[in-house]
Amino acid sequence: MLKQILLILLLFPFGVSAQNDNCDRVISGTIYNLSTDEPLPFSTVQVQGTSKGVVSDENGKFILKGLCEEEFDLIFSHVGYKKLVHHHDVHHELPTIYMAPNEVTLESVVVEAERTTGDLSTSAVGKLSAKEYERESSRSFGDVVKNISGVTVLQTGQNVVKPVIHGLHSSRILIINNGVQHQYQNWGADHAPEIDPSLYDQIKVIKGASTVRYGAGALGGVLLIDADQPELLQDWNGKVGTDFSTNGRAFNTEAKLEKGYKNFAFTGQASYLKQGDLTAPNYQLTNTGKEELSASLAARYHRKAFDLNLYLSHFEQELGILKASVNGNLEDLANAMESEVPPETKPFSYEINNPRQVISHNMAKLHGTWHGEDQKVELQYAYQQNNRKEYDVRRGTNNEVPSIDLSLTSQTLNLDWKHPEIFNFLGSAGFQSIYRNNRNIFGTNTIQFVPNYTSYEFGAYLIESTELTPSTELEIGGRFDYFYSDIIGRDNSNDLYFNELNYSSFSATAGIKKQIQKGRIFRVNVGNAWRPANVSDFYRSGKHQSVIEYGLWRYVRDSDNNFDDAVLSNEERYVGIEQAFKIVSGYELKNDRFSAELTAYVNYIQNYIYSKPGGIVNTVRGAFPLFIYQQTDALFAGADISSKIQHSKQFSSVIRANYVWAKDITNDDLFVDIPPAHLGYGINYTIPNWAGLSGIELGLQANYYAEQFNAPRVITVKEILAAQEADVNLFAEDDSNFDYLPAPDDYLLMSLNAAADYKNFSFMAKVDNLLNTAYRSYTNRMRYFADETGINLSLSVKYKF
Amino acid sequence: MKKFNYLFLSALFVSSLSLMSCEDTETPEAENEEEVITDVTLTFTPEGGGAAVVGFAEDADGSGPGGLEVANTIALAANTTYELEIDLYNSIEEESISEEVAAEDEEHMFFFGFTEGLFTDPAGDGNIGADARGDALNYLDSDANNQPTGLLTEWTTAASGNGTFRVVLKHQPDIKSENSSSVDGSTDLNISWDITVN
Repeated sequence: MLKQILLILLLFPFGVSAQNDNCDRVISGTIYNLSTDEPLPFSTVQVQGTSKGVVSDENGKFILKGLCEEEFDLIFSHVGYKKLVHHHDVHHELPTIYMAPNEVTLESVVVEAERTTGDLSTSAVGKLSAKEYERESSRSFGDVVKNISGVTVLQTGQNVVKPVIHGLHSSRILIINNGVQHQYQNWGADHAPEIDPSLYDQIKVIKGASTVRYGAGALGGVLLIDADQPELLQDWNGKVGTDFSTNGRAFNTEAKLEKGYKNFAFTGQASYLKQGDLTAPNYQLTNTGKEELSASLAARYHRKAFDLNLYLSHFEQELGILKASVNGNLEDLANAMESEVPPETKPFSYEINNPRQVISHNMAKLHGTWHGEDQKVELQYAYQQNNRKEYDVRRGTNNEVPSIDLSLTSQTLNLDWKHPEIFNFLGSAGFQSIYRNNRNIFGTNTIQFVPNYTSYEFGAYLIESTELTPSTELEIGGRFDYFYSDIIGRDNSNDLYFNELNYSSFSATAGIKKQIQKGRIFRVNVGNAWRPANVSDFYRSGKHQSVIEYGLWRYVRDSDNNFDDAVLSNEERYVGIEQAFKIVSGYELKNDRFSAELTAYVNYIQNYIYSKPGGIVNTVRGAFPLFIYQQTDALFAGADISSKIQHSKQFSSVIRANYVWAKDITNDDLFVDIPPAHLGYGINYTIPNWAGLSGIELGLQANYYAEQFNAPRVITVKEILAAQEADVNLFAEDDSNFDYLPAPDDYLLMSLNAAADYKNFSFMAKVDNLLNTAYRSYTNRMRYFADETGINLSLSVKYKF
Repeated sequence: MKKFNYLFLSALFVSSLSLMSCEDTETPEAENEEEVITDVTLTFTPEGGGAAVVGFAEDADGSGPGGLEVANTIALAANTTYELEIDLYNSIEEESISEEVAAEDEEHMFFFGFTEGLFTDPAGDGNIGADARGDALNYLDSDANNQPTGLLTEWTTAASGNGTFRVVLKHQPDIKSENSSSVDGSTDLNISWDITVN
């Protein structure tokens, strides 16, 4: 049945295309300056081999009329900018051209797909410019995305950095990696996505709840990371680059090679990083090294009105976790927290010991696009394989064996049809299916923390937009999803348990975008998103680092608030789906000298799943805190601001601010790990030429992070141990959330950056934590044990050919 | 051309559907729960013969939520010298953990804490605490680096008294030295018994 529906969906659009042999084809587009993102007036657009050509108007727009051919090569040129040849056919999206000034080493690029990857135009979208991306791309994925307004990070040390959108993370946000939903063990706070930003070219965040196109589950939003599609008709070109950082004595090398023929083009990329122990201002952070290798190959085959893209990527990483952060019982934890210098601090080394993680991720994707008259069909299949091994400090030969060893295989299929205009409505409809197979690899010598499972997910969506008035656009969208999972696990006595789960629900979105006047846009978007509890929310069980955790269905509680192990089902303990209702509103202001974007949101989440303290368990090893998974209703609200002021030709300022407020409204309680308020200011000085160098840029940034006042109560480990000694259950009367230590103090971080180009070389220097400030970040789980990293100077050189 | 595209795309679609050949959930194999110590037995054997005194503690579900049960009070005779042997056992996998500890004695060390006055030798209150590593204790075993392990110890009781007797086993890979103390490394065992000397 399913296959028949798919086939009908697939066949339909092919019936409605017509031949056109008249010379009445039109192509239009917009040209921007790549460095500034400003429109570039008076650029020349010419059709190669003909006399046809036009000049762009003052807004960078151009229209070429009277074209006879369906396919042609366009030449874009402008004095002082790099010439660009782009192969175009009339069925493709309207091109957006970014012209690179001669003095920068970035190349001019054409973006055809921008309109489709942006999803809803009424949702608030944040992104990095090509230049900002280039500056950050040798860092981790999380460190890159935190430069986008509205995105923060949740860290486990410096090497595990997870993106957080409007206070939500892990399985509450979707990561779309080159068009494919990135599949990984997204449930753990210490599991970062396996993505190396140096293999990509652009990143975007959609802050709406119902990002209908990409899948259910995006309660917080969606992160889109993309590599540019290989360009046709290019000579061999590429880049090699290397950079070195003083903190951690890290070096990174990367290479990229591209070639485009008439119908075929490809891009190959590789990157390698090695980092030793990092340094805090007052001591070494022992066992914080990292080694990373990644590579990708993108190939494109082009026929008239048809493109086939193949994408292969490989990522592998070994990372150390601060030795002092993994403890035995509560007494060990108290000792580690109280030490001025973290216990077991040793001199610098590149060696990575336990605790550590060894991770790999492979992806193969095949993507076909068919361009018809005013319509487009895309079909995509992707296969992903993710392995994760986590090594703890254990006795004897078990030290060589991971305590968590998981293999996740997934396959995704996407079909999207962008239909021609019908009754003034433009939009797209699509279908998506995901299959996942999660297996525990035998040999960990400890009972599995999460069970084995297979799951299927089917979704169908429709998004439509129409112009209510010439300045007002209305968007509506809907989506239906069905989830099935089959679970087999082992309980604490090593007995098997089984379960099958089915969930289905709708999500919907509606939004308005209104151009109030030139340069002023107002957006508002309302939507819902939902996700069922994931398998680890239900079934996680056992000791994980210094806590013992029990999933939603893995415990029973007696009237005295004592816990016992169990395996429950939905009949015994009902677990409703998580359901978010989010309203996001944005205001955008732009003129010659000033631009600003303000986003404000409220997100109400029903059945929000979180872990809360249950009590203390006495074991042979001593006392451990027990955390149980529960559901509640939560409210998140906040605002993001980003603004740019052009003071003069040379000087510009950037201002950014984020604030999130969150509360458990059922229990009138507060959550741990909500990002504190952040205010950032940067001043930049740019000159085109000086002493033989070009594209010179100097910048100074100040970032202030407030103390998190909206944090739960504090119960120190010492207090817990004292209560344990006196045989008092601290949580019998009051089981509200707590934290072992108060939120860290506020802090100010300064950084400095400089960049310049010489011929084909580009140089960059950056100093982070310029004042070598000792500080701790509230959203880093290592804050109990050690300071963040101190001053770091990084130098980078790239050569383009 | 159109026909080509149509055929090509259909072929791609059909092949990708067939690629979605999906395996069923695999049954996870039973892992040996090797980490866990479930049974702890302290055997005090009096010098020159006589019945041994045993202290026992059990945590049948390992790291499960079920608590630890300390079975009995240790009752020692007055003015007697005992040899204490510690036995650690994993009843889930039926294997001896004390043998593992003995095999890796350069990574492990037992520390003891007790109410002052219970013993004449060692005197004091044991060697638990950051500064207490050098405090009096009679270890009868040592590792390859000549550091004590503590599977075997010697105790001489006082005339009478009661209080607590606490045993802590620390796992100290690359840490154990003449300076390492009970606050270094991670805890494998931490149990207190009530004790009487009569």
